[in-house]
Amino acid sequence: MQDITSAIQIIPLEHYVFLCVTLFSIGLLGVLFRRNTIIILMCIELMFNSVNLLVAAFSAYHSDPAGQVFVFFIMIVAAAEVAVGLSILVMMKRNVDSVDINLLNRLKW
Amino acid sequence: MSALIFTIVLGIIVLYLGFTKNKAILAPVAIAGLGVSLILSIRDWGLGSKYFHDMILLDNFSIAFNISMIIITILIFLFGVDYYETMEFHVAEHYALMLFALTGAFLMTSFSNLIMLFLGIEILSIPLYVLAGGKKYSYRSNEASFKYFMLGSFATAIFLFGIALVYGASATFYLPEIKTYIAQFNGHLPPMLMVGLLFILIGVAFKIAAAPFHFWSPDVYEGAPTLVTAFMATVVKTAGFAAFYRLLGMGLLPLPPQLEKALWVMTGLTLLIGNLGALKQNNFKRLLAYSAISHSGFLMLAMLSQHDSSASVLLYYTFVYSLATVPLFIIFILMKRASDGLEDLTIFRGLYKAKPWVAVPAIVLLMSLAGIPPTSGFMAKYQVFVLSISQGILLTSIFAIIMAIIGVYYYFFVIREIFTDKQQPYPIIVSKINGALIIVCTVAVLFMGIFMWRLPI
Repeated sequence: MQDITSAIQIIPLEHYVFLCVTLFSIGLLGVLFRRNTIIILMCIELMFNSVNLLVAAFSAYHSDPAGQVFVFFIMIVAAAEVAVGLSILVMMKRNVDSVDINLLNRLKW
Repeated sequence: MSALIFTIVLGIIVLYLGFTKNKAILAPVAIAGLGVSLILSIRDWGLGSKYFHDMILLDNFSIAFNISMIIITILIFLFGVDYYETMEFHVAEHYALMLFALTGAFLMTSFSNLIMLFLGIEILSIPLYVLAGGKKYSYRSNEASFKYFMLGSFATAIFLFGIALVYGASATFYLPEIKTYIAQFNGHLPPMLMVGLLFILIGVAFKIAAAPFHFWSPDVYEGAPTLVTAFMATVVKTAGFAAFYRLLGMGLLPLPPQLEKALWVMTGLTLLIGNLGALKQNNFKRLLAYSAISHSGFLMLAMLSQHDSSASVLLYYTFVYSLATVPLFIIFILMKRASDGLEDLTIFRGLYKAKPWVAVPAIVLLMSLAGIPPTSGFMAKYQVFVLSISQGILLTSIFAIIMAIIGVYYYFFVIREIFTDKQQPYPIIVSKINGALIIVCTVAVLFMGIFMWRLPI
C-alpha cells in the first residue's frame, strides 16, 4: 500500500488535476453534443471515472484513506446506474427501434 | 436508525410478496410497515444519535422531515390501492421501489458527511428512474424515464466532481470540518474550493428542480405514471430541500459572496420561470410541475433567509404543499378516467355539477397551492415572507409576493373549468378509499391553516 501511495506521488498533483479535468470535460461535451444514447452513457461513465481518478490522487496526496473508500462507493453506484440506464435504453429500443436521442421529442414545453 | 433499517427490510418483504400473486395484500402490508417505521422514528425523537463514525446524525430536524415523508408516502400508498387495481403485473415492484427511494430520502435528511449525501441522492434517484418508466409500453413513459436518467446521472457526475474538488482542498468529507476549513479563509476562497462548492450546489439544485436546472421536471412529471409523479412532487421535493438546507447549514454557510449572489439569482429565476411557465400550460400534470418549480422558489427564499426558524418554516411549507398535491393528483386520475384518458384542463369540466363533494375539496386544495386564506398554503407563504422580510431581504421578498399573485391566476384556470357545465363521456367513479383520502387531506389542509401554524422541530 505504501508503495502505491509513493508511486502515485512521483507524478505532481497538478498533472492529475489537469488530466481529470480534461477527461471530465470530454465526457461533459460528449453528453451535450453526441446524439447516440449509448455513447452518451459512455460519456457519463467517463465523467464518473475521472472523478474516481481525482479522488484517488487526492487521497494519496493527503494520506487519507477516506477518499479511496469513496472511490468504491462511486464505482458501485455507477455500476447500478449503468444497469438501470441500459435497461431503460433496451425498453426504448423495443418501442421505437432506434437509440437516436432526437426521437425523444414528444414531451416538450 | 431502526426506522431506516426497518424500511429497507419492509421493501424487500414487499418485493417477495409479489410472488404470491395476491395484489390485495401488498398495500396493507406496506402501509402497516410504514406505520411501524413511523413509530420507530418517533421513538428516536430528541436523542440526537450518531451512526457509522458520525457519518449519520439523526437529530430532531431529520426525524421531523422523516415523519413528514412517511406520512405522505402512506397517503400515496393508499392512493395506490385504487390506482394499481387494473394493473396486472409488477405491482409489488412499484411499492418496493418507492420504499427503497424512501430510505434514500431518510439518508438525505440525516447525513453529516458528503459520502452519505451522495449515497442518499443516488438511493433516492435510481429507483425513481425505474419508476418513471413504469408503463413499459407507453412511449411517453420511456421518454420521461430516459430523460430523467440521463439528466440525473449528468447532474450526479457534476455533483461528484464538486465533492472531489472540495475533498482535494480540505482533505475531509465531514461537513463540520469543511465548515471550519471554509471559515478560515474569511470569504476569499482558493479557486479549487470555489469551483467545487459551485458544482455541489449545481448538483443539489438539479434535484430540487430550481431554475435554470429545471428543464427535466415538466417532461418527467408529464410522462411518468401519475402515482410516481405524485411521489416525485412531494416526497422527493421534501427530501431535496431537507438535504439542501442541511448541506448549507451544516457545512457551507456562510457562503462566499459570489456563490450567495448566484443562489439569489437562482431563487429569482425559479420564481419567474415557475410562475410564468405555468401560465401557458394546458396539461394538468405539466401545470403542477411548473407549480412545483415555483414552490421551489418560495422554499429557496425561506432556506436562504438563514434564521433559526427556517427549518420549521421549510417543514411546514413542504408538508402542507404535499398534503394538497397528493389529493389533487387523485382527483386528476378520477377525471382522466371519466374523460377517456385526456390530460388537459378541460377534463375538469362538469365536476361541480356531477360530484360537488369532490369539487369543493379540489377548489380548497387549489386555493391552498395558490396561497389564499384560510388554507394552510396561505400560512406557509405568509411565514416565508415574514421570515425573509425580518431578515432584511426586501427586494426578493417583494418580487416573490408579486410572483405569488401571478400564481393565483393559473390555479383559477382549473377552478373555472370545474364550474363550467359539461357532461364527461363516462361517469366519475370515486372509490371509498380515494373519497376518504380527498376529504381527510382537505380537512387537514384547512385545519392546519386555521389552528396549526407551526410544526415542532
